[in-house]
Amino acid sequence: MKSYPCRLVLSVFLLALCPLDGLAAVPAKKADKNDGPTVKAAAPVAKPVQAVSDKTQIWHTWTDTEGRKVEALFCGLSGDYITMQTKDGRTYHFATSLLIPEDVEFAKSCLTKNRDASFSPAIIASAAADIDRMVGAILAENGQQPNAPATDAQFLRRIYVDAVGRVPTAKEADTFLKNPAPDKRAKLIDDLVFSPGYSMQMFNWMADLLRVKDTFGKGVPAFTFEDWLKMRLAADAPWDKLVYEMLTADGRLCDNGATGFMLFDAEMPLDGVSNLMTTFLGTNMACAQCHDHPLAEWKQRDFYQMAAFFGATSGKDTAILGAVNKAAKDGGLPKAAVKKIADMNAFRMEDTSKQKLTFPKDYKYKDAKPSSPVSPALIAWEKEDKSLPIYNVATKDPTQLRIQFSRWLTSPQNPRFATNIANRIWKKAFGVAVLEPVNDIDDLKLASSPELLAHLTFVMKAAKFDLREVQRVIYNSKTFQASASPTPDLGKAKYLFPGPVVRRFTAEEAWDSLIVNALGTYADNVLLRRGDDLKAMALPAGKVTLAEVKNAVERTKAAFAGSANGKAAGGKKGAGGSTLGLANGYEGDKPVTRFNMMLARASELPQPSPETHFLRVWGQGDRLLADSATNDGSVPQLLQMINGSVSKMIADTRSAAVMDAAKEKVPDAQIRSLYLSYLSRPPTAKELATANKSLKDGIGLTDLAWVLANTREFLFVQ
Amino acid sequence: MSILTSASLLRDPEDRRRFIEKCAKISFGLSILPFFTGIAEAAEQAGAVAAPNAGLPGFGKAKRVIFLELQGGMSHIDTFDPKTGDNKGPGKAISAKGDYQLTEYLPSIAKIGDKITVVRNMTAKVGVHASASYLMRTGFEQRGTLQHPTLGAWAQHFLGASHKTLPSSVAVNRSANHGNGWFPASFSPLPIQNPEDGLLDTKSPVTTEVAAKRAGLLAQLDSGFGGKAADENVKAYNEFYDTTFQLMKSTDLKAFDLASEPAEVRARYGKSKFGQGCLLARRLIENGVRFVEVANGGWDMHATLGDRMETLGGDFDRVFATLIQDLDSKGLLDTTLVAVTTEFGRKPDFSGGGRGHHPLVFSTVLAGGGVKRGFVNGASDAKGYAPDGDGVSPGSLHATIAHAAGLPVQTDIITPAGRPMQVGNKAKPAMGVFI
Repeated sequence: MKSYPCRLVLSVFLLALCPLDGLAAVPAKKADKNDGPTVKAAAPVAKPVQAVSDKTQIWHTWTDTEGRKVEALFCGLSGDYITMQTKDGRTYHFATSLLIPEDVEFAKSCLTKNRDASFSPAIIASAAADIDRMVGAILAENGQQPNAPATDAQFLRRIYVDAVGRVPTAKEADTFLKNPAPDKRAKLIDDLVFSPGYSMQMFNWMADLLRVKDTFGKGVPAFTFEDWLKMRLAADAPWDKLVYEMLTADGRLCDNGATGFMLFDAEMPLDGVSNLMTTFLGTNMACAQCHDHPLAEWKQRDFYQMAAFFGATSGKDTAILGAVNKAAKDGGLPKAAVKKIADMNAFRMEDTSKQKLTFPKDYKYKDAKPSSPVSPALIAWEKEDKSLPIYNVATKDPTQLRIQFSRWLTSPQNPRFATNIANRIWKKAFGVAVLEPVNDIDDLKLASSPELLAHLTFVMKAAKFDLREVQRVIYNSKTFQASASPTPDLGKAKYLFPGPVVRRFTAEEAWDSLIVNALGTYADNVLLRRGDDLKAMALPAGKVTLAEVKNAVERTKAAFAGSANGKAAGGKKGAGGSTLGLANGYEGDKPVTRFNMMLARASELPQPSPETHFLRVWGQGDRLLADSATNDGSVPQLLQMINGSVSKMIADTRSAAVMDAAKEKVPDAQIRSLYLSYLSRPPTAKELATANKSLKDGIGLTDLAWVLANTREFLFVQ
Repeated sequence: MSILTSASLLRDPEDRRRFIEKCAKISFGLSILPFFTGIAEAAEQAGAVAAPNAGLPGFGKAKRVIFLELQGGMSHIDTFDPKTGDNKGPGKAISAKGDYQLTEYLPSIAKIGDKITVVRNMTAKVGVHASASYLMRTGFEQRGTLQHPTLGAWAQHFLGASHKTLPSSVAVNRSANHGNGWFPASFSPLPIQNPEDGLLDTKSPVTTEVAAKRAGLLAQLDSGFGGKAADENVKAYNEFYDTTFQLMKSTDLKAFDLASEPAEVRARYGKSKFGQGCLLARRLIENGVRFVEVANGGWDMHATLGDRMETLGGDFDRVFATLIQDLDSKGLLDTTLVAVTTEFGRKPDFSGGGRGHHPLVFSTVLAGGGVKRGFVNGASDAKGYAPDGDGVSPGSLHATIAHAAGLPVQTDIITPAGRPMQVGNKAKPAMGVFI
């Protein structure tokens, strides 16, 4: 084992940021659901530089040019659009031209305030420099060099795809490439991570991790979970709060979208525990669910003791299910309609006063008796872990078990919570994690650089789990801004990060990049929201009566008919790749339909898309398991690009990229414009000559667009 | 280009290995350089695992498999396992060739009864549609922490890809639904949602002249990044593009084209989606696809069972009998295994015009691929309530088909997450069905 010269050489500056969060937090005295995870540090010794201050939510009464008013939370300002959220959680993009000038000025000042509440440029630079120093040291130690710095064009394309999930338009690319300012990269990073595209991009990434799906179980609609996640992302919720809210959420999906994560596994609660351990802690306990782990330390008893924290939690109310079905049967109501209402009301998260989990009846180890009750206990990775204050959890009151567990899980003191998300965020930017695979990080020493992983964990805590801040740090590092390496064979050697890895677009990045080329930046302003209709399915509290079930059936029918006139085009029959049934589920700007496709960004389409849709064919996950997206290649992918509806959308005279090019007066400028649109760089002299020759030879701009979209360069991020 | 894989090519280990590697790069979708050794090793191992069941009766006789899925739960008593007395259904029993009885809803199958094996002692514990359908499709009970592969994916793991350009597995009238399990995504079946449409997007939307100009310019302009790429994934996409352009001109595509079938044959299979799906399955396996699933919905007969057995059951009867006859007359039945599977059976009590879910005993059918002709495997008790003696679990049915397909059964493979797994979930094949 080599020793590393840079053992935790963190800048003093950063060290001052979060000296105590990880060690000295006081355990909560009395758990109370409403105050969120208690992660406040004890009184600091010296007065440290404030980390990311808790951002104050800016509520404001906005006035449009016609004098109409709306009270809403400021969420962001990007280009010509202000993003805001009304009290009911709806997110809107308002064109600045629609608002009175004072409000536009106000939004600008809010943006500055938001940014001021974030890491300062000095802190970003310092934390990024630490990354570069650590990576540099381990590279040197292994006789390797960092890659050459990426060109402006390479950086431009990568930061757009990573931060906002799509390539830049020709105009956006041109503006950046022509800008002579020396700090233009840092500035672009900030512009992008504070724009609406950032939330869409983060939604796609999280949807794959959290298994965000339109339906769960036997087809119970779960749109409210999507709406909730989008709303929380737009309002800048940090990761620890987001996770805490999902794990402790109560009630039905129609009342509380946050329950979606836990309800996914409502009928298989043990699998649910196993899943959340993998997703949030990078701990693979699936084996220990049925027997002691053959390779790792985990015992079956460990698993059951962890699962016992959910032993008083119930996800399904079978009494309500029976009562609704009975009422419906007695009243002769349509079965299919009632089934959905029964499920929507029966699936709900609730804590009971009894912890019911027992060891299996065929339990075969000596450390517990078969069928005996399980006492909740937390796992530890190292012996010392258990002396951390956060391990001091109260297990007496069954109704509080889930909350106690969630406090422990999301605490900065948890030995893996921060590391897990830091490692996953690093992989998102670099293509490879510091510790692979991301779903098994029990042994931190196996990281390609344990010091780097520790540093990223530290930055994550200093940022108070604000993933935007952590990504700002990463994006500003020279390591990220180096040119990319070919895909490494991790079976042969660990990857030491001389730069990011060349990677194919994710399905969502490929689709969103094609969509922005078809529509322009307008695509970032089309928002789908479908959860409201589910509220019509809610039965009032108390005894289930036939009259109430009847009412709910009627309400549901009316709600779905009213919201989806276009449904006839979609529905079950249209599942073969068409998503047109969504037409009226959009708020704010309306989506465009071309070649039988809804032109909206991936985050604003069904989750996941139907199997034959471009997104799925290109590897969007089916969301049955966490991390189910792939970037494998296949012939059907290319058939769509070469001949399918997508190819027609690319080679279309209405395409924004083609129209931008057509506005140029001379062929050279037209070709340059299309190159910027698809490849984010100007053509070389040779390419220009070749393309020019073709244009004279009967090839049109639409054909050139098709050609550029079909190059390998378009598909890959360098 | 030869459409069928030469058998001699696969007999020589070196050639076979080269063939597999080649297929791995350019088939319909094999993984591009996997990141993790677990997966890399799985691909490496293709064809290299010794089968403890090699040489036993029936081993490796089935070169291809057609896996029919009757969704909703086919009533065993009203189809392949008629009863008398209180539990008798609306249809009466008739004699099938091969000396056993079926109900009158299956007159065409009765005529080819001497070509198939009826398994009357299927047994399972799951009586819920989605979970039972999962169990029958994979041989494993459904879990929330991992997805299990279909037999097509298992076969691709052990035997490699079945064709140079065509996919190794196809799912007709249904979604692929993570059929690769823990194997690379490219082992997932290619879904064909409508047999009449076949494979989508194979024809250029522009004139031949423009298409040629586009392709020419693409080759020139891509010589920079694509041409010089050192990255394995980029190279893999170069090959995918080459293959796709070749495929568009190739006769292999005919495999997906039902219009190339004589009108008389199309008529024999009937107009239903299931009928055309089975015809497509026959074309696909003829042309080198190894594993084809064909789904047929509507078997959840809680009510109006008699009427629906006449319509839906009647269609199934004609289509299945036609498929078996067609395969047999083409000399393909001995090397093609056709399985009729379903989610579960239906209750012996006939009430409300139909029957409820009943997993404890039910029937499936196996035909061809080394399976006995005109045979009944096991039996249910007099009421059709439970197996009379040992039952065959869905896992065991999978092990049986796997054995016929030449896969090692009761042999561990290690998943990328480090978990040992066996095709058929440790169950033994039902050896009695083999010749």
